[in-house]
Amino acid sequence: MADPRRFEQIVMPHLDAGYNLARWLTRDARDAEDVVQEACLRALKYLDSLTSADARAWFMTIVRNAFYDWLARNRPSEVINDENEAVDAAVDLDSPSPEESAMRADQRRVLSDAIEALPLAYREVFVLREIEELSYKEIARVADIPVGTVMSRLARARGLLQRSPLLHALGATHLGARDEMH
Amino acid sequence: MKCTELETLISSWADGEADAVQADFARRHVLTCQDCAARHSALLALREGVRAEVPRYRAPPALRARVRRAAEASAKPARAPWKPLRERLPWIGGGALAGCLGTILAWSVGTTIMASRASDEVAVAAVSMHTAASIGGHVIDVASSDRHTVKPWLAARLDYSPPVLDLAAEGFPLIGGRVDHLQGQRVAALVYQHGQHSIDVFVRPLGSRVEPVPLRTVRGFHVVRANGATMEWIAVSDVETDALSALVTRLAREDVAQ
Repeated sequence: MADPRRFEQIVMPHLDAGYNLARWLTRDARDAEDVVQEACLRALKYLDSLTSADARAWFMTIVRNAFYDWLARNRPSEVINDENEAVDAAVDLDSPSPEESAMRADQRRVLSDAIEALPLAYREVFVLREIEELSYKEIARVADIPVGTVMSRLARARGLLQRSPLLHALGATHLGARDEMH
Repeated sequence: MKCTELETLISSWADGEADAVQADFARRHVLTCQDCAARHSALLALREGVRAEVPRYRAPPALRARVRRAAEASAKPARAPWKPLRERLPWIGGGALAGCLGTILAWSVGTTIMASRASDEVAVAAVSMHTAASIGGHVIDVASSDRHTVKPWLAARLDYSPPVLDLAAEGFPLIGGRVDHLQGQRVAALVYQHGQHSIDVFVRPLGSRVEPVPLRTVRGFHVVRANGATMEWIAVSDVETDALSALVTRLAREDVAQ
């Protein structure tokens, strides 16, 4: 059924990309491993149906889906309705409060902490763009949203980061921290 | 228009994803609007910050081993001994085939078709070399950002001497080189870093004057090619295509006849 050589050629080169995405979404190394392992099992099952050249976006899509299924099972309180208003209003329950964050803030980790504190819908597009360097089209495919939504969520993710209390606590203006426009 | 409404435009423009009309509007707007100019430079600073300080996590070796075992276990014990080539080399089907058909329709010129097929072969071979090197951990034979170290090292092992350039100032620091095999030929591979991604640039003496098909995507990796005056430049990576094209164009432009 599944050919291990195909798996080696198609999936293994993108294992780091998949793990990186899962690691940012779960914010935990062990959970990320579980998600990626589940994604690999699914990839094995669907390997024969892959027809497009873009194996990376294909595998990332599987990782993302595996993550949301994992989330529903393990942290149902974090699952949000994927409607725009819900996304905008989303408060990340698990993220540290600004005071907590400022206290444990460490110059080296400050930007990573601020990214981890982004609500999921923004965190995923931001990581796919800024760390994985996917195009808007690829992100739209992976996150299953229109390109226009990729655009607006990215802009909003960046705005949230730049106004993040974390970055301001450290005066990290070199990271693009800035005050609200008037 | 209130400038907060331009946040999305400035952001997609900074990503190189705005269309020509929007990009032109943004370019002119930031010349006159201080708020948006500050917004734009803050975005670029944020990107630099991410590249410098935010980790791209790598799959732990134990996970890698575990999924490999799962793949082997899922194979049927008695596998069919013969499979059609299309199934073994899936990327030859689908996308590549569609690409060829598109080319035929667009040009219907025999030589172009030949070039396109050859280009697919080169792209597939280059991606195989790139992934084999990174999976095997054999990315670099000579680790140095100094072109005066890398160039002689490569020249001593090949029958040609590839031009070597460090482009750290442009966001592409040279991290080393190796000798690799591309389509049965020993070639120089220069290894550049861009953000958290590594880029292989294969350099070989120019075989033909035919301009190569500039961009291919194979199994999720982009392959960008350009001819310089003396060498053919083939870059492979999973970085975005704009960055990859910028690097290759730059390298090919520096490659001038002696």
